[in-house]
Amino acid sequence: MKIHYTVVLSAALSLGALSATAQLGKLKNIGESKANDAIDNLFGGKKKNAGTSGTGSGAGTTGSGGSNNSGASSGSNNPGNTTGGGLISTPPDVKQNLSDAEVSYKKNSYSEARYALQQAMLGVELEIGNKILKSLPESISGLKKVESDDKVTSTGSGWAGLLIERKYNDDKEKQLTVTIANNAAWMSSVNLYFSSGYAQTTGGQQNWKQTKVKGNRAIIEYNEGSGYKLSVPLGQSSLLVYEGINFATEPDLMKAAEAVDIDGVKKMLGEQ
Amino acid sequence: MKKSALLILALAFGILGHAQDFDKNLTVARSSYASGDLENARFAIEQMLGDIDVIIGKEILKSLPVKMGTLTYNEKQDNVTGGGGAGLFIHRDYGTYPKSANLEVINNSPLITSINAILSIPMMGAMMSNENQKVVKIQGYKSLLNKSVNTETGKTSYELQVPVNNTLVTLKLDDTNESEITSLAGTIPLSKIVQLGQ
Repeated sequence: MKIHYTVVLSAALSLGALSATAQLGKLKNIGESKANDAIDNLFGGKKKNAGTSGTGSGAGTTGSGGSNNSGASSGSNNPGNTTGGGLISTPPDVKQNLSDAEVSYKKNSYSEARYALQQAMLGVELEIGNKILKSLPESISGLKKVESDDKVTSTGSGWAGLLIERKYNDDKEKQLTVTIANNAAWMSSVNLYFSSGYAQTTGGQQNWKQTKVKGNRAIIEYNEGSGYKLSVPLGQSSLLVYEGINFATEPDLMKAAEAVDIDGVKKMLGEQ
Repeated sequence: MKKSALLILALAFGILGHAQDFDKNLTVARSSYASGDLENARFAIEQMLGDIDVIIGKEILKSLPVKMGTLTYNEKQDNVTGGGGAGLFIHRDYGTYPKSANLEVINNSPLITSINAILSIPMMGAMMSNENQKVVKIQGYKSLLNKSVNTETGKTSYELQVPVNNTLVTLKLDDTNESEITSLAGTIPLSKIVQLGQ
């Protein structure tokens, strides 16, 4: 009798074990399938509904493939952003920040005062930049301004530089970019041309030379790939750069450069 | 004691001088901005930023230890330079050669990013690392420790760099070992420096 019980018990245990193994196997398959899906999703690709290749893990892959094909083009299950107005580009309030700086300074909270001053500086520099952009011509040498590309960049530190950029083009291939940099690090590279004395090559192709724009000393360069570049240092710490693409000749670019009110720009930047 | 009192007095007078300039420049900035003279307003704000950086520098200097182990600081070598976008540089040194220490604090400088890259990106750290460099923790801040051996004297120097937010604290020590420099670095008020320069 005892032997019978033992046989029945061991048979039941074996069946249980088999069943557990089968369950584990199923779980493992599901796990593998999910893992494959996750890897597919991670790399943004999909295993194709592969009539031609493998059959092994076809079911799981085809399912998720279907759902993914209806998703964003990236192949990810995460939705792509299709709406939103971006950030509001309001320049900092200069008066408010000056007041904040004063209050923080009086409380000996110097880092807060510095932050407020940097914000005030940012506000003033953006205003200067926009004022200069307004002063630039609507069109130059038949090229119209590209208002959407108008750019004023300031770091708010005063020393690191203010950059103002305006583009003009004819909707074809001719383009003039006017960049005004104030307190910028690249001032020194242009001044190097002037300080190294007058050097000009007579043999071969001359690719840079000194010139004058409205009485201001300047450097003009030519590169077959990028066209003409005219750099005009303004006073102690500002630089006006014209980059002309597809201008036929040097005089063409020089004529275009004269359209800018250089003295006005200098005055707005406080240059002598 | 006398030295410390004199230093505090000198710093206080320095800050008072800056306070007058700050008020003057604030008035100029306000009136220039109101009248539309943006360039003049900008110049006045630039001056204020420079003044405030120097004040921050002096406050940081005041918080630095006057002794680094057995080494006493050299008051005349105390220095605050820079200010504005280029960064603020604070210097204090201790002792005399061959046993000397050098403490530098750089605030708001672009130099800091390269050190942070080594500390924050493990792969970058691995690529840059060598047997004379390792990452250690000082007062909870990840820091970069560099070792160098003088081939002539055979003496070992260490340099410890602690970048926190926009501030980099560097301690250099000649004729020393790793345990001494890490222990001395523990006496630098890092949290206070970070708070002042943030």
